[in-house]
Amino acid sequence: MLMVSPAIALAFLPLLLTLIIRYRYFFVLFYRAVLIRMWKDCVTGLSREERAFQYVLTHATPGDPDSILDTFDVWCSKVEFISNIGPKKGKILDRLLMEHSPLTVLELGAHCGYSTVRIARSLPLGARLYSIEMDQRNAAIAEKVIRLAGFDDDTVELIVNPSDEVIPQLRSDYNLERLDFVFMDHWKKCYLPDLQMLEGSGLLGKGSIILADNVLFPGAPKFLRYIRKSGLYEWRIHRATLEYSKGIRDGMAELVYQGIK
Amino acid sequence: MVEKFFQDHERKMPRDSLITSENDSEQDAGLSLQEEHESKTHRTKRRDGDRQKKKRRNERRKGGTRAGEGEEDLQAVSEKRERSKRKRAKSKQETSRRENNEEEEAQLTGGKGTKARKDIRNEKTRRMEKEEVREVEENVDKGKKKQGSTKKGEKKEDGGKQLVKGKAREVKKKKHKKAETSSEPETSEEDDDEEEDNDKDVVRLECLSPEELEKLKEAVDERKKLIQSLRGKPWAMKKKLVTLRESQEFVEKYEGALGKGKGRKLYAYKVLMTKKWMKFQRDFENFKTACIPWEMKIKEIESHFGSSVASYFLFLRWMYGINMILFGLTFGLVMVPEALMGRPYGSMPRKTVPRAEEASAMDFAVLWDFGGYAQYSVLFYGYYNNQRTVGWLKFRMPLSYFLVGVGTVAYSYMVVIRTMARNANESGVGDDNSFNFSWKMFTSWDYLIGNAETADNKFASITTSFKEAILEEQESHKDDNIHLTRFLRVLANFLVLCCLAGSGYLIYFVVRRSQKFALDGLENHTWWERNEVNMVMSLLGMFCPMLFDVISTLENYHPRVALQWQLGRIFALFLGNLYTFIIALMDEINLKRKEEKIVKFNITTWEASLYNGTVSENSTASPVTIHPADVPRGPCWETMVGQEFVRLIISDTMTTYITLLIGDFLRAVLVRFLNYCWCWDLEAGFPSYSEFDVSGNVLGLIFNQGMIWMGSFYAPCLPALNVIRLHVSMYLQCWAVMCCNVPQERVFKASGSNNFYMAMLLVILFLSTLPAIYTIVSIPPSFDCGPFSGKNRMFDVIHETLESDFPPWFSKVFSYASNPGLVLPFILLMVLAIYYLQSTSKSYREANVELKKKLQMQNEENKRKNKRAALKAQMDLEEARMTAQEQQRNNNASVQDQENDTDIHGSGQRPYQEKYGCNPPPPVGGRGRQMPSSRDPGSRTYNRGNHGPSGYLPGFARQSEPRMYRVPSLQRH
Repeated sequence: MLMVSPAIALAFLPLLLTLIIRYRYFFVLFYRAVLIRMWKDCVTGLSREERAFQYVLTHATPGDPDSILDTFDVWCSKVEFISNIGPKKGKILDRLLMEHSPLTVLELGAHCGYSTVRIARSLPLGARLYSIEMDQRNAAIAEKVIRLAGFDDDTVELIVNPSDEVIPQLRSDYNLERLDFVFMDHWKKCYLPDLQMLEGSGLLGKGSIILADNVLFPGAPKFLRYIRKSGLYEWRIHRATLEYSKGIRDGMAELVYQGIK
Repeated sequence: MVEKFFQDHERKMPRDSLITSENDSEQDAGLSLQEEHESKTHRTKRRDGDRQKKKRRNERRKGGTRAGEGEEDLQAVSEKRERSKRKRAKSKQETSRRENNEEEEAQLTGGKGTKARKDIRNEKTRRMEKEEVREVEENVDKGKKKQGSTKKGEKKEDGGKQLVKGKAREVKKKKHKKAETSSEPETSEEDDDEEEDNDKDVVRLECLSPEELEKLKEAVDERKKLIQSLRGKPWAMKKKLVTLRESQEFVEKYEGALGKGKGRKLYAYKVLMTKKWMKFQRDFENFKTACIPWEMKIKEIESHFGSSVASYFLFLRWMYGINMILFGLTFGLVMVPEALMGRPYGSMPRKTVPRAEEASAMDFAVLWDFGGYAQYSVLFYGYYNNQRTVGWLKFRMPLSYFLVGVGTVAYSYMVVIRTMARNANESGVGDDNSFNFSWKMFTSWDYLIGNAETADNKFASITTSFKEAILEEQESHKDDNIHLTRFLRVLANFLVLCCLAGSGYLIYFVVRRSQKFALDGLENHTWWERNEVNMVMSLLGMFCPMLFDVISTLENYHPRVALQWQLGRIFALFLGNLYTFIIALMDEINLKRKEEKIVKFNITTWEASLYNGTVSENSTASPVTIHPADVPRGPCWETMVGQEFVRLIISDTMTTYITLLIGDFLRAVLVRFLNYCWCWDLEAGFPSYSEFDVSGNVLGLIFNQGMIWMGSFYAPCLPALNVIRLHVSMYLQCWAVMCCNVPQERVFKASGSNNFYMAMLLVILFLSTLPAIYTIVSIPPSFDCGPFSGKNRMFDVIHETLESDFPPWFSKVFSYASNPGLVLPFILLMVLAIYYLQSTSKSYREANVELKKKLQMQNEENKRKNKRAALKAQMDLEEARMTAQEQQRNNNASVQDQENDTDIHGSGQRPYQEKYGCNPPPPVGGRGRQMPSSRDPGSRTYNRGNHGPSGYLPGFARQSEPRMYRVPSLQRH
């Protein structure tokens, strides 16, 4: 039998401490996003999004997008964890929307409607937001949240389909000519193919803005590598931290389409 | 090349005039006829610079009649105006009046929309008057060309080439005159001619007169000088590059071609040889660089990771060099002589494996622990014999052993101190923090970085450092958070101390336990338990620095300061560990010495019994031959110490390599390849790649060296082992750092920390020689092993040598010299000398600081003086301008009156006229960029203030351009 003396085992204590301290935010995130979720799923029998919606329904003022967003933030930071865009990165999004006041906005990945409401409230009059969500149940909740916030069909159109099916159809089905603003917050693996699909569809014009969330954590390395290489965009990364968490670094990539020169 | 440059210049001139005339055409539409006239009469005036020309034209525009052109000119002007007015009236009769009103408004308000409309109208007028403009242009061009040659003659600075070319160009010019129809094709034609010229020049070079050649030579020399002094010229980089290229080409072309016939050949040969020689020198330099071991590798690392990581590798290389010399000393003067000339293995008990160990002496496990055959070899102290001379060379083995032991340490001291002194010289005197931001601004870039990612990191770190510095500056006024920072720093130190104490206790515990094991007999315990001390020491030495690193994030220091703290802490940890180890060793030495006493006693009884036995058994009294393996022997503590050190080194090396492979390589592989199928980005986020730990590695190296210094007296093989280790780790770490590490997030320059490393090395050297000297001086050597066996103390060997190998007078002198009465004054003298030198160096340093201060003061004084002078000049200028303005205003009034006379019918022209004076001209070129429209007179005077004497520049719209662009960018930030 391999007899390791207790002294040698004790010598590993500093390593353990180091790991715990250095990666504490990740452990906390793991606890909040995975363990609590599984526990609550078992206990309540509802999905996480449904629980969030119930909370919002009971705590927020209907018809007031700000109140709904605040309630979401409270739920996500105090109760459970949902990877919305969050208040801090949301400010960047708001600022970009205010600066450019786009008329046609495409959102990939509505999830439970937080970012949709966020975008819709800072849109100028007459602008239209197309929001794509793949998951049926999430989409139902997103729909409810959007309507709760007081946005009608003219402002926000929710499309329940995978993004790679919708994007090629946008021009024909929705009579879109050009997208002024695209917000990506769906599967990180789909960032790159969807971006390429958008390029191919010809919906991007000079000056179209694409904002991709979570490019550092969970991260979309291929996407970043692609935008670095292709000369089609002027890009920058807004560095921030992961939503509802202090220590995990994350970033949003802001791309401005320049077209082929 | 010169003529090309020349023609460029020449071509530029008409083009410039083209532009200006176009410029003007938008404004002085009405003056085109007058211009035509003028261009003939006032040709000489054109020789002046554009600026002056413009100014003059402006003036002319201001007061057409005042300029002395006569009545008919004015007539022509009014006619012209009439014509254009009529044309315009046809197309825009209805709108003109309204526009006029609007424009008058616009001149008051300065709105943008009206400006745009104005532009449009300008466009129209421009189109209408294009033909006339073209006429003017052609005239101007002709004038230019005629004057071209004379003008060129004046330009001496461009070398004497134009002299060569003078005639040819004259001829060509005439040809041009005939051929030219319009200005555009003309330029292209000239391009062709240029090439022709080039060809002709080369051909004609041979039939040049000597003085022309002389001039050419001068030109070449001038070019050469220019190339040399180019770096210091206050030009834009682009201009420098262009000039450099042109000059080089020129020199290339004409250098070889100079001289005639034989002389020319000789010259060409000389030039060729100089070139060859220079190339050889360059190659030799490259070769020399290539000869420096690992230079390219380190440079590459430096370019990827910044100089702090590279400094580790430089340190490693330096260490390798020192160890090579140590190895050479021990190997050449101790190990080889003993192996070649000493008694062979098996000839005596100390050179033979004892009978009890013989069976397992060749096992790998035993050899790995440096027992068995490894123990009884030249690798360790115990193997050496105490015979005074070995071999036919009469090599003094014990003396050599002693002197090499002392010499290695002395050499190390010398090298370390010399390096420290050199570094101290380089670092200069006193770094002041008075220009914090300037330092940051101009010195924070690491110019050795050659990798994009590192450059990004460096860029980010500089910006963050700026931000932090600004924040610090702000916070220094507030300083409310300082208590928190202090508290955190104290807390961090407390935690580190706890950690140190814990690790010290753990090692102490382990050492005590191992002593217990040793008493029990090592064979009863597992490998883990036997190697517990080394394992625990290595593991703690590896993991505790990580913990310190995590703790140090609490403190929020600048990375360079943080690195020094980190180094200090690790230093303390290692030192604690090392000294615990040494104390444990001392205990063991004492144990062995007790054992030795018993063995010594036993041996005498054993020998006696042997002798008695032989006497009793047979009376032949033949000498008893006992195999040396059977002879009982003492424990030989020196070999034990050497073995311990060797084991420590081996386990340390192993831990380093294994950490490297697991912690860096395996992690990198996992991150790299699991990233394809993982739910988050492993590379940028959670595990990521490891950074190169400079402080830990440096300290590992330093302590390793300390152990070498400590142990090499008892194990001559240690320097050899260390050389191998350093060699391997050079390659391994170079590879690992390039393949599995990412550049540090906060790259910083390490220039300051080099001496810090050295100081640490010195401390370690001192601390490690201390126990070695202690053992040499105070503990008597073992009686039956090693070169000093049989002596009372190890340094007795010197006495012995002095007595027997040197003439008696020498030993007498030496004994006098070693008399305390002589030694003490000598030491006193040395101390005094050191004190004197130290104080002088201090005063020098102070003087230096003083001088620096003085220099600064003088600089400031100069600056102030210059400022005063500049201010005065500005005042004068202002005054002059005021008077000029006064005059001009008067003139304006008169012109205005006259214009009013002419424009009495048709107010449509009036605002247009006024635009000459008040408005910036519309932009050149068809892009129609929107300029900030007509300014009020106030802003205009301000603008003119910027211009200085040039006054009414039509190009002053260009001045306003950058201002207009800066506005949105400011808003963005």
